[in-house]
Amino acid sequence: MIKVRGLSKEFGTLHNGSSGVLALSNIDFEVRDNEFLTVIGPSGCGKTTLLRIIAGLIPYDQGEVAIDGRPVTGPGPERAVVFQNFALMPWADILTNVTFGLEIRGTPKAECRATAKELIKLVGLEGFEQRLPKELSGGMQQRVGLARALAVNPQILLMDEPFGSLDEQTRRLLQEELLNLWERERKTVVFITHSMDEAVMLGDRVMLMTPRPGKVKEMIDIPLNRPRSREVEKSGAFLEVKEYLWQNLRAMQVSES
Amino acid sequence: MKQETAAKVAVESRSTPWFNLPLGLRRSARENGLEILALLGGAAIWEVLGWGLGLQWLPPFSKVMEALLQFVRSGTILANLGSSLQGLVFGFGLSLVFGLILGALMGRYRAVEKALDVYVHALFVCPSIVFAPIFFAIFGLSDAARIAIIVVYSTFVIVINTTTAIRTVDPSLVEMARSFGCREHQIFARILLPASLPLVFAGIRLGMGRAVKGMINGEMLIAFVGLGALAQRYGAQFDATKVFAIAMVVLIIGLFTNWLIQILDQRFTSWVN
Repeated sequence: MIKVRGLSKEFGTLHNGSSGVLALSNIDFEVRDNEFLTVIGPSGCGKTTLLRIIAGLIPYDQGEVAIDGRPVTGPGPERAVVFQNFALMPWADILTNVTFGLEIRGTPKAECRATAKELIKLVGLEGFEQRLPKELSGGMQQRVGLARALAVNPQILLMDEPFGSLDEQTRRLLQEELLNLWERERKTVVFITHSMDEAVMLGDRVMLMTPRPGKVKEMIDIPLNRPRSREVEKSGAFLEVKEYLWQNLRAMQVSES
Repeated sequence: MKQETAAKVAVESRSTPWFNLPLGLRRSARENGLEILALLGGAAIWEVLGWGLGLQWLPPFSKVMEALLQFVRSGTILANLGSSLQGLVFGFGLSLVFGLILGALMGRYRAVEKALDVYVHALFVCPSIVFAPIFFAIFGLSDAARIAIIVVYSTFVIVINTTTAIRTVDPSLVEMARSFGCREHQIFARILLPASLPLVFAGIRLGMGRAVKGMINGEMLIAFVGLGALAQRYGAQFDATKVFAIAMVVLIIGLFTNWLIQILDQRFTSWVN
């Protein structure tokens, strides 16, 4: 379980005393085990900052962030991150990219390769092991990113707008595949997005955030059964939640501009 | 009628091996041709001007080559080339070690960069040859003095390039590595080093060019051995033919070392293109 209490984060506090920008202010929420939480909010709401704090990549100023009761002080083996820009090593082939996390954790070479090959197959990239990232499309590259994260068998998957830079068709395809994967593995997922469809389609709950400073506006339960398919997009519940999100986001956007 | 011609052309092009070469090779073959043509043209112009103008400082190309041949036959070049190259290897080797380590630290740690940047840039901009008398005072007429000059010539351009190379590594790659629990030394070895190689090699190439300059300049000023000393001696005698002959040798060293580094560069950074 991920537990966040009274979390605040300020950026750019300068040594001349002038205070910086409050990115996150007094954030409270929990993510249950095996839950798929999507996080949505306008740009500047600190959703990516929040994810990076949970990942242990940046420190926080106040409050408490804990995983299964242990405070987060840095990255840990129970968490893996999927990055928006894929963050693949351009000089290394796909197999090497996927084994990266395993190798760092000291897994024997043969086991690394076996696990990586299995996951490359799982994300549909069998036969591409020896290719370089630049030879793959964006969608395929993010499959590699996903395989790399899953390879270390994390309990928690932290996904930072993973499909944000992909075209609509590729994005929808990957959403469906992610749903299938999640049905099988049931990891705890925190999924940052700026797409309302994506937030509702994937999540058990949506966390709606407001900007400047970043705050949790509301936790919204998504009353859709699992396993889900594209069909749910036509359901009343889907449209209702999406409409509700839009009304809220619209209000934020309007007050911004 | 038109179709017929097109078909004919297609058959012809298939039967000519030139057209079957992969694009990269085809281009480089043409470029090589151009390069050789340019060199031959340059030599021809030099030859004509040398004979035509009859200037004392511009001997014809053929005379220079003659002098070079004599140098090679008499063993003068070989003896001096050895000691020059020895200095180059040691001097450039040290430059590489200093340059890469200093550059890596400056690129990764702001504090190190803040502390050293002004010195590195000052030494980079300063004509390195002004240090020659100081090295002469410290090391005397020894190999160490020659090597020290090569080091000040070539180290700083490597430092500056390596600093930039490390600094411009995609930060999301470093973040990715940290998210998997990489320690600092692992980030260096697995992310920063490979990612920065293309720019680092650019710096190494510049550094090698400057090292050759430092080698000759150092030998001309404070050593009695090597190609620089030879050039100095014949220069003092106003023997332009022999000076040019030695310059040719230096040129070949420059081109050869450059070629060597390019091969290594391509070997290690083929992923860029």
